[in-house]
Amino acid sequence: MLDFFAIFSKGGIVLWCFQGAGVAESFAAPVNVLIRSVILQERSGNNSFNHNSLTLKYKLDNEFELVFVVGFQKILMLTYVDKLIDDIQLHFRDRYKNELEQKGAIKYLVNDFEFGDDFDQLLREAEESSRLKDPVVMRTFTQSLKSQKTVKSMIETKGGDKGKEQGGKKNKNAKKEAEEVAGAAQSKSPPTSKKVVVNGNQDLTKEELIQRNREEMFRKMAKSGTATRSPKPQKEKEKEKEEKKKAAKAKRVWDNCGTNLKELDYSDKVNGSQDAGLAREHAEPEMHLESMAGDLRDVDYESSEPEDEEEEEEEEEEVERVVVTEASKTGAKRGGLGGMFGMFKGLVGSKSLTQEDMEPVLDKMRDHLIAKNVAADIASRLCDSVAKKLEGKVMGTFTTVASTVKQALQDSLVQILQPKRRVDILRDVMEARSQRKPFVITFCGVNGVGKSTNLAKISYWLIENGFSVLIAACDTFRAGAVEQLRTHQRRLSMLHPSDQHGGRPSVQLFEKGYGKDAAGIAMEAIAYARNQVFDVVLVDTAGRMQDNAPLMTALAKLIAVNTPDLVLFVGEALVGNEAVDQLVKFNQALADHSMSDRPRLIDGIVLTKFDTIDDKVGAAISMTYITGQPIVFVGTGQTYNDLRSLNARAVVSALMKA
Amino acid sequence: MDETVSLDLAVEDFSSEHDIKTLIEEMNYQDPAFLIGIFVSLAVVIITIVLLKYFLGSKTTRNAVLLVGLCDAGKTLLFSRLLLGRFKRTQTSIAENSAIYKAKNERGSSWTLVDLPGHESLRPQYVEKFKASARALVFVVDSALFQKEVRDVAEFLYSLLTDSVVAKNAPSLVVACNKQDIRMTKSAKLIQQQLEKELNTLRVTRSATLTSQDGSVGGAVYLGKKGRDFEFSQLPMKVEFMECSARGHQGDEGDADIEALEKYLAKL
Repeated sequence: MLDFFAIFSKGGIVLWCFQGAGVAESFAAPVNVLIRSVILQERSGNNSFNHNSLTLKYKLDNEFELVFVVGFQKILMLTYVDKLIDDIQLHFRDRYKNELEQKGAIKYLVNDFEFGDDFDQLLREAEESSRLKDPVVMRTFTQSLKSQKTVKSMIETKGGDKGKEQGGKKNKNAKKEAEEVAGAAQSKSPPTSKKVVVNGNQDLTKEELIQRNREEMFRKMAKSGTATRSPKPQKEKEKEKEEKKKAAKAKRVWDNCGTNLKELDYSDKVNGSQDAGLAREHAEPEMHLESMAGDLRDVDYESSEPEDEEEEEEEEEEVERVVVTEASKTGAKRGGLGGMFGMFKGLVGSKSLTQEDMEPVLDKMRDHLIAKNVAADIASRLCDSVAKKLEGKVMGTFTTVASTVKQALQDSLVQILQPKRRVDILRDVMEARSQRKPFVITFCGVNGVGKSTNLAKISYWLIENGFSVLIAACDTFRAGAVEQLRTHQRRLSMLHPSDQHGGRPSVQLFEKGYGKDAAGIAMEAIAYARNQVFDVVLVDTAGRMQDNAPLMTALAKLIAVNTPDLVLFVGEALVGNEAVDQLVKFNQALADHSMSDRPRLIDGIVLTKFDTIDDKVGAAISMTYITGQPIVFVGTGQTYNDLRSLNARAVVSALMKA
Repeated sequence: MDETVSLDLAVEDFSSEHDIKTLIEEMNYQDPAFLIGIFVSLAVVIITIVLLKYFLGSKTTRNAVLLVGLCDAGKTLLFSRLLLGRFKRTQTSIAENSAIYKAKNERGSSWTLVDLPGHESLRPQYVEKFKASARALVFVVDSALFQKEVRDVAEFLYSLLTDSVVAKNAPSLVVACNKQDIRMTKSAKLIQQQLEKELNTLRVTRSATLTSQDGSVGGAVYLGKKGRDFEFSQLPMKVEFMECSARGHQGDEGDADIEALEKYLAKL
C-alpha cells in the first residue's frame, strides 16, 4: 500500500528505490518538493509532509549522510510507517556498513544496493504487526476511576454542604462549593466540569438548571483564554490529589456571606498564588450575576475585569515560558552533572551525537535566540530541526558537542536568510520597461512600521538609477497620508529636476483624496502609469492590524484585483513574537480572498527600523522562516539614504554573538 | 692581599673581553654529545616548520574541478556519468559530492571532481567553501529551460565571475549546455549570445545595487572592458561553451554524449 520508498544520499544519488504497483508517476517530483520546502527550510522538526494527495514521511541518517523517504496516499493513514522506516534504516545500515564507510561519493555510484528482498520482508512484517495488534478493549467498570469514588462523594445536594470530594480537588472547587452554599449550584471550572456534569442532575430544580446553563455560557465565553490553562491545572490537580486526600476539607467562606475579620485572613489558606489567580479569572465572569446582591465586592475583583482579556493572553505566554524555562533548567542540571567528564570524553575520540547530548546545548541556544528577539515558536522549531539534522552524526576528534551544534545552527540560520529566488529589483524593472508595462510594487503592513517613509526611500533609490516613479496614494484613511506623500514627491522632484530626466518628471503622485476605495485608486494609478509610460508604480496602503477582518479583506481585494509584480510586507525589526502572528494572518488573508487557485502571497519583506536594534536581530529570522520569502530591503534610518540590502552572514554573526 | 687584587683584575679582564670567539671556545670545551643534541633539536624544529608549510600550502593548491549550476541542471547525473559512465536516478542535492577523477589522457593525471548543490539557499556557502581550490569551473546549464531561467543563470554566473577569489585565480570556465537530448533546446552559440547580453545589463544593475547594512559592497570586480559590450573573450580566464547530454540519446541505459566535455577535462 505504499506508493514509493526511496533511499538516497544527501548528495542526491538515489541508492535504492521501490515503486508500488500501479503507481504511474515517478516519485522524483514529490521528493524534490519535500527536500526544498522542508529540509532546506529547516522545518524538519516534524517528520511528515503532505503534498497534493500524498503523505511523505522521512528520516535522516546523519552518520552516513542518507535520507529515507516513504510516500503513501494521504487518505490511508497507515500506522506502521514510522516503525517501518526505523527498521529499514537500521537494517540498511547494518547490511551495507562496509560500503558506506568508504570515503568519497564514489561509493554511492559503484555499489549496487540490492535491498529489494529485505524491504519486502520488512514491509510484510510491519503490515502484519499492525494488523495483529489487539483491538483496544474497553475498561470494565471495576477498572475505571469512577468505581473508586464513593457514592456519597458524587451526590450533589442543593443548598447544604457539598461534600464533593472527587479524589482531591483544588481550592478552586472548594471556593465554588462555598458559592453554592450561597445559593448557586454546580461547578464553574472547565477542567472539573467534565467530572461534575457526569455526576448527575439528580436534585436540581428548574432554577438551578437555568443557573447552570447560564454558568456554562459564561464559561464558554471565558473558554478561549482558559483552554491552555486547563491542562496545567489538571496536572497540578493530580499532584495535589494525594496531599489533599489527607488534609481535611476546609470550608471556604466568601466575602458575600458575612464579613468576619478572621475569615478574611487568607494568608494560610491560599495554596499558591497562581491557583488563586486562575481561580479568580474563572470566578470572575460568573460573579456578574449574583454578586450585585449582598455586600460590595473587593477592589481586586473589579479592577481585574477590564484587564481580563489581556491577562488571559499574557497568562498563556507566561505558561509557555514557565514550561520552557523549567525544561531548560532541568536540562542545565543534567548537563552540569556530566559536564566535567563529558567535556573530556567529548574532546577525544569520535562519538556519535545523541539527543541527550545535544539537549542542554540546544536549550541554551534556544534561550539565546529568544533573548535575541527571535520568536519563541520559531526558535524551538529551529532547534528541533537542527537536532534532527545532527542526530547520529559522528563528531571528529577535538570537537565538542557545543561547537558542533553551534556550527550547525549557524549554517542553518545562514541558509534560512539566503533568498530562495533571485532578488534583483532593478533587473526586473528593466525587464518590465522593455515590455512597456509598469512594474508595480505594493507595500502592506500593520500600523506605524514605516511604509510611507520606506516607500519614499525606495523611490529615491529608483530615481537615482534612472527610472521614473509614480506613487499611488492608496492610503485613504490616515489623516495626512496623502499630504505626506505629496511632500515627499515635491522634495524628490527638487532633488531630481525633470530636465535631468529628459523633460519628464522623475516622480509623480497619483491621489484621489480621502475616503475612496483603495483598490479602485490603485487600478486607475496603474492605468495612468501605463499611459504616461512610468517605469515603476509604488502603491502605499493604509496600515492595518492583522486581526481586523474587513481591512484584511480590503487589502486582499486590492492585491487580487491589481496583481502587482511585487507584494512587500513592511515589518519593523523591533517586533518580537508578533511577527509570526502578523505574517501568518496576512498570508492567510491574501490566500483566502483571492479568486484564483494560485493566490498572490507576500513576495518579500522590508525590514525597517534596523538602526534601533543593536544586535537583537532575531526579527529577521522569524520573518523569513515563517514566509520563506527573502528580505528585500533593510531600512536603517529616517533619511532618504538609509536603505540597505541584507547581508546574511553579518546578521547571523550578530545573532550568534554571545 | 696582592694576590686577591690580582685575581679580581683577572676576573674583570675576562668579563670585559666577552665576544663570540670566547663563546665558540667555550662550546668546544663542552661535551660533544650535548652539542649534537642541540643541533639535532634545531634541525627537527626547522624540518617541522618546513613540513607544516608544505602541508598547509598544499591545501591551497588548486586541484578541484567544480560542477556548478542552477537547481535541476543535471550536475549530479553528470558527476555520475563522468566518473563511471553509469546512469543513476538523482534527487535535489543537499550536500556536495566529491570524488577523485582520473582524466582520460596519457599522463593519467587525477584531480578531484566536486558536485556542488545548486539550490539557492545552499549555493553561497558551498561556493564559498570550494572556490579557493578550483582549478576549473564547469557551469552546467539546462538548455531546455534556458529561456525562462536566463536571468537566474546570468545572475549566478555574474556572482561567480565577480567573486574576488575567482577573479584572482582565474580558473578556466566551461559552460556545459546540458539536456541536449530534449528536442527544441538552445544551442551553445545561442546560449552564449544571450548570456553576454544579460551580463551586459547586469553589470549596470549590480553596480547600482544597495550596499549591505554593515557597509560592505558586493564584489568590486568589473566584468570585461568598460565602455564596450561585454563578451566572454574579455575575461581573464579561458571560457568555452559546449553541448552535452548527461542522459544520452538512447534513454537511460545508453551512453551519455559527454565526449566533448571529457576531452576538455583531459586537457586540464
